[in-house]
Amino acid sequence: MKRSLAGSLVVLTALTAAGCGGGGAQEPASGAKELEVLYKVEPTWPHLEKMLGDAKKQYEAAHPGVTIKLTAVQGNNEAYYTKLALLNRSPDSAPDLYYHDTFQVNADVAAGKLAPLDDYLAKWPDWSTQFPDSVKQAAKGADGKIYGVPISTDTRGLWYQKDVFAKAGLPVPWEPKTWADVLAAARAIKQKVPDAVPFSMYSTKIHGEAATMQGFEMLLYGTPGGTLYDDAQQKWVAGGKNFTDALTFINTVYREELGPKQADAHNAKLADKVNLEWFPAGRIGISLDGAWTSAAWKPTSTKPWPEWTDKVGWTAMPTQNGEEPGAISMSGGWVMAMSSYTKLKQEAFDFIAVATNKENSMTYSVSTGDLATRKDVAEDPKYTADNPSVKFWTDLASVTRYRPAYEVYPKVSAQVQEAMEAVTTGARTPEEATAAYVKALPTAVGGADKVLTR
Amino acid sequence: MTIATAPSAAVTGSPAGGPPRPRRLLRWLLPMAPALVLLVLFMAGPILWSVYIAFTNETLTGSASVNSRFVGFDNFVRMFGDPNFLNSFVLTFVFVVGSAVIGQNTLGLIIALLQRGRGRVTRGVVNGVVIGAWVMPEIVAAACWFSFLAEDGTLNTALGLSQEWLYTAPMLAVILANVWRGTAFSMLVYSAALSEVPPDLVEAAAVDGASPLRRLLHITLPLIRRSIMANLMLITLQTLASFGLIYALTGGGPGTASQTTPLYMYEQAFRYFEIGYGSAVALVMLVIGALFSLVYLRLIRVEDA
Repeated sequence: MKRSLAGSLVVLTALTAAGCGGGGAQEPASGAKELEVLYKVEPTWPHLEKMLGDAKKQYEAAHPGVTIKLTAVQGNNEAYYTKLALLNRSPDSAPDLYYHDTFQVNADVAAGKLAPLDDYLAKWPDWSTQFPDSVKQAAKGADGKIYGVPISTDTRGLWYQKDVFAKAGLPVPWEPKTWADVLAAARAIKQKVPDAVPFSMYSTKIHGEAATMQGFEMLLYGTPGGTLYDDAQQKWVAGGKNFTDALTFINTVYREELGPKQADAHNAKLADKVNLEWFPAGRIGISLDGAWTSAAWKPTSTKPWPEWTDKVGWTAMPTQNGEEPGAISMSGGWVMAMSSYTKLKQEAFDFIAVATNKENSMTYSVSTGDLATRKDVAEDPKYTADNPSVKFWTDLASVTRYRPAYEVYPKVSAQVQEAMEAVTTGARTPEEATAAYVKALPTAVGGADKVLTR
Repeated sequence: MTIATAPSAAVTGSPAGGPPRPRRLLRWLLPMAPALVLLVLFMAGPILWSVYIAFTNETLTGSASVNSRFVGFDNFVRMFGDPNFLNSFVLTFVFVVGSAVIGQNTLGLIIALLQRGRGRVTRGVVNGVVIGAWVMPEIVAAACWFSFLAEDGTLNTALGLSQEWLYTAPMLAVILANVWRGTAFSMLVYSAALSEVPPDLVEAAAVDGASPLRRLLHITLPLIRRSIMANLMLITLQTLASFGLIYALTGGGPGTASQTTPLYMYEQAFRYFEIGYGSAVALVMLVIGALFSLVYLRLIRVEDA
């Protein structure tokens, strides 16, 4: 095989695009219309598939002559991003509608792959009555237009196992005020509960954006003035002390063996291990993760754990030294977006409206544990019924921050992951990893003039 | 593509004379026509395209995916300035030499030598086991090795150890897995070559008092040298582009500790969406593969002269 892999993949892709473009809006001679919807599914995460299945039935009943073709991508978020990007290369293979991570939206807007929804939203009463203004921003393009209807939003913080805390002699409820408090608790667990992983976070490339956002940004944005992007100067911040401090925290976790073992830190299924195995078995102390984590234990999970409401606690991630406002959270979310290539725009929008109606949003939010985007869902008692943590996570919105989700953000995120992984394995010191990030940043953001030296 | 190289070597070596040139060319081309047409039809476009985008800033998403720019040799300059690329380069070399040139080649030869003159049952069992590893899909083989080397896997259980082999010795793990999987090919090539060695020559040497080692070094190996070169070329090129096994076993990690160039290329092109840059890496791989085969072809020719 002299011709190398990327080449053959390119060939494959080109072939798929040229020869077998099965997707796309098609209007066969019979007049039947078909809309293809792309989404992701994992064995432990069937929730979106269920919601879209419901939406398909409702939509097809109300819109005779239009069929919804649900196309699943098996795999984690990273696999989904790649598959979607490849399908989107050609109008023939691009799906008409897709589940889209908000941080990818601007890159697709810049490429003209997404259709603006403003005209349709103006005629959809739910948009003005049920979606709060903060949520509406989720998929706003650089041009001010809306490119997706939010399905979910989220916040991030700390989950902890109360049995493990009791054994380690730590107070419950636990309210750490600084990073040092978090590390001190982890050290106590390591000492007194040796069979438990003291502290888990995502810090390797295999976890992709989860590592950047749940891991690194939860630290960086909690340092004084810490940010990836300077809004005032509109430049990307090149490292600096904040950046190194955040990496130092990760370095401490792994050098003192307070984190998961290397094999687990590099395991794509770390989240399943932490939530489905370690939490119920009392083998984890603290986990830095998202608001949705409790979905792993709820009755809708593939492995319910009803005792979780007694055994698990949740608290905000503190800022570095307890700086105001004392806690930090990051927010992202997913939207339902429409391809600019689809010929059946009104029909496609109608499906978005069905998929994000109250009933389907409820199904999605309750099973995934993501925070609701609609006011009527958030106010419904069914939404909070078996999830006592939901109010806490919703209230974290008061301190939450958003990613600088500009077009080049995914590339910056990739560099952050490089830096994190280097300190996770110990290949680089935090200072060396920061230096490597500073060196790589200009290429990632498209020029040294877009970088702010610290 | 590699397979195509070997016959062409034979063609250049064919004796002169015979029918006049155009007719000879036609006789040579005609049987290849179906393959050639298919290749041109399906491959030429994409190959030319991937060569072209290696000189652009083409990406899979974002504005550069629709408005890519010609950037000259920027991608190549960036590549050779990237310590991760240079690291991947060294690892690829270690992987090729370790698993193909030393591992598969030597082990394949040894198995083939040991099998000479053995009973049918022994040969059947050994061949079955070795070829079984070879016909197994790459991902299945990777899954087997993963469960063998995992922390609570077979190896640790058998040895009573608690080692994370894939994290403490990732290169060794992928090299072993590749040797295990790929040895069958070399074994088959050498079995065939050894059956062509005239037994009377070896016997004559034995009668003259040559030790088994001398017989191997001075009779057998020189006689099968062309097979050795052809085998080395084929497995080198196969191993150079090996991706699935490493990707499934270690994902190139931990960090970049087992990230060979094909994995680096995949990460750049399909994780970071830098398809232009990824194609540039592919082009460099192509050149390296070509250099390797040139060296081997040259060696074969020197032997023949």
